[in-house]
Parts: sequence; structure tokens; C-alpha cells
Amino acid sequence: MKKITKVLIANRGEIACRILRTLTRLSIPGVVVYHPSDADSPAVRMAAEALEINGSTPVAAYLDTDQVIRACKETGSDAVHPGFGFLAENPGFARRLGEEGITFVGPLPETIELMGNKVAARAFCIRNGIPLASSVTEGDADGEFPERARELGLPLLIKAAAGGGGKGMHIVREMADLAQAIQLAKGEALRAFGSDEVYAERYLEQPRHIEVQVLADHHGNVLHLGERECSIQRRFQKIIEESPAPDLSPNLRGRICAAAVEIARKANYRNAGTVEFMLGPDGEFYFLEMNTRLQVEHPVTEMVTGLDLVELQIRVARGENLPLTQQQVQSNGHAIELRLYAEDPEEDFLPSTGTLLAYRMPAGESVRVENGFAEGMTVSSAFDPMLAKVIVHGVDRRQAIHRGLTALKDTLVLGVVANVDYLARILSHPAYMAGHIHTGFIPKYRKDLRPPMLDEEKRNLLLAAAALSSREFTDPAFDVPEPYTFMGDWRN
Amino acid sequence: MKRRIDLLNENFPVTVFGQPGQRRLKVGHGAPESASLTMKDAFQATVHLGDVSADIQMAVKGEKAYIRAFDRTFTLQIVDPVEQAAQEAGGGSDTARAPMPGTVGEIQVAVDEPVTKGQPMITIESMKILMVIAAPRDGVIDEVHFGTGDTFGKNAVLVSLKPEEEN
Repeated sequence: MKKITKVLIANRGEIACRILRTLTRLSIPGVVVYHPSDADSPAVRMAAEALEINGSTPVAAYLDTDQVIRACKETGSDAVHPGFGFLAENPGFARRLGEEGITFVGPLPETIELMGNKVAARAFCIRNGIPLASSVTEGDADGEFPERARELGLPLLIKAAAGGGGKGMHIVREMADLAQAIQLAKGEALRAFGSDEVYAERYLEQPRHIEVQVLADHHGNVLHLGERECSIQRRFQKIIEESPAPDLSPNLRGRICAAAVEIARKANYRNAGTVEFMLGPDGEFYFLEMNTRLQVEHPVTEMVTGLDLVELQIRVARGENLPLTQQQVQSNGHAIELRLYAEDPEEDFLPSTGTLLAYRMPAGESVRVENGFAEGMTVSSAFDPMLAKVIVHGVDRRQAIHRGLTALKDTLVLGVVANVDYLARILSHPAYMAGHIHTGFIPKYRKDLRPPMLDEEKRNLLLAAAALSSREFTDPAFDVPEPYTFMGDWRN
Repeated sequence: MKRRIDLLNENFPVTVFGQPGQRRLKVGHGAPESASLTMKDAFQATVHLGDVSADIQMAVKGEKAYIRAFDRTFTLQIVDPVEQAAQEAGGGSDTARAPMPGTVGEIQVAVDEPVTKGQPMITIESMKILMVIAAPRDGVIDEVHFGTGDTFGKNAVLVSLKPEEEN
């Protein structure tokens, strides 16, 4: 049995806070590394110890393996939890930690390598009889990649081989757009993952994104914690996830979960991971990718199973047996996660920046908030624009949706454009309420999801509020005497 | 006091009359109506205008008011009179502006190069999203305002085209 006496979190924001909470409960001191731009963040305040790291950009600091390992040594941390993103799926980092005698809370480096390259992962699935959508890789195409991709037929999806998180993905609906899509995907892939290898696969229309949480110890025990429905996406990134998936027959659910466990077993998987599938309207499902880490949406699984995935990760990393069997895994009620993003749904979900002038998170029965920001903090373009996650639980899906709407009403983000009201419009859409969801939901209901119209009466109330709260209007010092109003340079 | 306020890409002239406690306000050429704003706590407020009122949530910074009301969240900006004059004098589609803050990835055009509407001119990156900035109309490149790797804010002018009459 390995000892874990102090855990360094190689991450930031809400996930660092979430890991720290479990560590506190387990009486294990938690250490964070932070870039100076995060010096005032909640994670730094919560941690037992915090060490500054630097880099050419804030992101570069969190990706710097050497500084993280040095911080482990300085603080006597004997384990690293990578969270998600940054170094979580970097096999070189996991390997280095092993060489230094530090426990990596995650799978073996070989598994990260296998699943990290989507082309290698697809070859693995073919060898093991796991269903896949038809595809062409740059390697297979022998210099004729665009031509071979074209032969797959439209629509096509161009993806980064080293991809994940929706980065480097482009749908091609007209062949004329193929060349530019490949070029953009290559550029994004190189920036995000350091490799410009891409592949093309046939894009399934109106598929559902269903994923399965798996958990494996170092003694050959593998189990699944049920599925998550993650079909509500924009820019190929999830914004609402739930568990269980609505309208999934017990037979189909059983087959999808069994396929996930089979993949984990064959891949010699350790610790927590997620197997993602595309489910077609015909009930056929295909392997999409395996994420060898904790996921952003793991709280919905925790809400229905009552388990703490970070605790289980630490126990597995320590070498313990999984503390429960498949039969003991329970799923109660329904959980929905709402991701709050600093972005403008009316402007094609472009990220927004600014200062959080008002920032109030909901609370209450069956509401869980994972948050890494506080009022007065600045949202910069240096990091992913996710602000927080609001997770609600109900006895059934209907109650969970209702609680989600109440929680969003109690949420307030002012000063930075955020998607709070937009999430509420999705939850209250009849198709969402009926469980008729697929990854094309947002484009399909684009018109319905627009904000309500503003009539003249409401508009004038807004203008009045803005005018009466402004010194420009109400302070006589700002009133320019008539003769001076014609002087162009006059400024108070 | 009269100022213009931007709301949802439209611009409304608003005039406030009177002293605190007895303000009157008019929008455009409408009739002045009694108006008040009462803050209940840091962000909860009630606004009255004539016979109507609404409970809103708001925060103010400088010339911007952020308001959540009517199931939406709005940004209202009081337009600086000097800037207003400058905007009215120039503008048009001679420029391509940044829709979000970010860094310049690749520059695909050069000064004096002719471009056609929709032609990619510059690729920008923000939070790992790449975006192609295309020419707003047919024309000739006048200036590329940033170099590869430079950072810029939202609405920064990235590329200018030569004025139409010169083409």
C-alpha cells in the first residue's frame, strides 16, 4: 500500500477547490500551485500551502512539469491530482512523477498515451471489436487525405488526433469548405495539443452524446457508475449534462455500460475514466473517445450515486481495492449540471471578459455549486471561460429541471456577459423538458432560444435605471453650460 | 441633462430633468415622466417610470450599467458625447474589428493587396478558439494594425481597407 500524506493539485479554479474539499474531509493536506494572476483566487485561500509558479503565459505556468515537480519536492507532497485539462492527460508528466517516486492520481502513462492519441485509440477499438464510425486518418491516406476524406461522404467531422474538449473540431457540410476546415483544425490542434495531426470521420446527424463513468483499481476490479447524457453542446463543448440519460431502455443502457467496462478492462485501465459514445437515432452506438481523467461533469454522477469520485481516486491511487461491487452501485433520482460560462449566446457564444461586479451563486436543498471565482475578480481571456457549475438533484428529471430553473433565478452575474439566462431558456424549452435532445439541439432550436423581445415600456424602464444610476445624468457637475457644449475637447 | 444610451446596438437619447427625489425623464421626443430608482441592497433595485415599475438587478461601473430584468441581462452604455461626435463623422465598413479579445494568429493579407468580400484576412485566437476575420467588402488593404502574436481588446480595429472612392 502506497502512502499518500500530502497531495499537490496541479490545477486551478473550481476543480482545485473541489479536490481540496475532499482532501480536507480525508484529513490530507492539499497544496496548490498558482500563477500570480490567480493569487487572489478561492483555491489559493483554501489550500494548506500555495506555491507560485510562472510562465510566459498563465497557461504555460500550469503546463510546466518541472515547476510542478519542484513544488512537490519543496512541500513534501507525495501525490499529484491533476484535475482536468493542463497536465491531466500528459503521459510524460505521469511518467516523470513515477520516476520521482510521486504518485499520480490517475491511470498508467501507457493508457494515457493510448487514449490520448485518437488515431491510436481507434485502432485499439478495431482490434477489440468495439463499434466505431467510419473514418480516415492522415496516416492511412498516404498524402491524399482530403481526397480520402471526401470519399467518406458528407457531412464530415474533422478532428485533432490528440484532441479533446471540442478543440480542433470542424463539421464540413459542403465539400468546398473541406480545405479550410482541415487548415483551421490543424492550426487549432497545433496550438492546443502541440500536434497538427487530424483525421476525418463521418458525422452522425442528430446523435446523442452518452458517456459512461468507469472506475478501476490496481487489482483487476473494474466497474461503471452509470451513464451521463451530455448532448446539449455548443462549439462541441458541453454546457448541460445529466444522469441518468432520459429515455434510454434498460437493455441499451446495459449494453453501453458493458462496452465501457470492456474497453477499460482491455486497456488495463486504472483509476477514474470516462468512455464517450455517440448514440444514433437508430439505437446504434459508436466509441468516440476515452478521457483518462476526472471530467468536468463528474458531479452529476456523484449526486445520483452518493459517491465521492475524488475520494475513490485517492483510495485507488493508494492501492486499495474498490470499496464496492457493481451490484452495490446505486443510482437515485436525477441530477443536472449547468455550466456557467463567461460568453455571449447572442454573439455565437464568443467568450467575454471583464470584472465580476455582482457574482452570486445559488444555494439550497439539492443544489451544489462548484465555483472558482468571487465578486470583484477579473475574467481574462487567459483561461477557459467557464465560471462555475451549478448541479441540482431531484427525485425525478422533472423536479431536477424545476430546481435547476430556481437555482438559475438565484444566480447573478453582472459585469461580464454570461449564459445564465440562456441556460434557463434551454431548461424550459418543451423539447428539452420532453427529453428530446441530441447534439444538434442548440442549432435546431436557435430561434426559440433567443431572448424574449423587449417592448418599448420595458426598454424605457431600462434606460431610466441606467440614467438614474449614472453621475453623468444626475450630478450637476457633469452638466455642460450651453456655450461650452460646442467646444469639441471639453471633458470633465 | 441629455445623453445617448446604447442598448442592444441601438442608441437612445435620454433626458433627465429636476432634482433628486423629483426626477423627470424622457426618451427621445416622448413626454417627460416622473422617474425614480431605489436600491434595496447592493444589486436589487426598483425602477419607476410614469405608471410602470420593475424590480431589477443591476451593477454600474463607469459609463456602463449591467441590468438583469425581464429574463435577460443587458449592458447599457452611456455614450461619451465626444466619442459620439467622432462616430457620427467616420466609421462605415472600412474596418474589420475584433469580435472578442485575443491574440493574432496568422495574417493572410498584405498592405495594398486587393481583397474580395468574405476573403480571410487574419486569424485570431482567444481562449483556444480560432476565428477567421474576413473582408467586410471588396477593397484594398490599407493597414494591418497588429502583428502575429500581438494581443488586442474587443472591438479593436484589426484591418482597415482603403476608402471606397479610392478604388
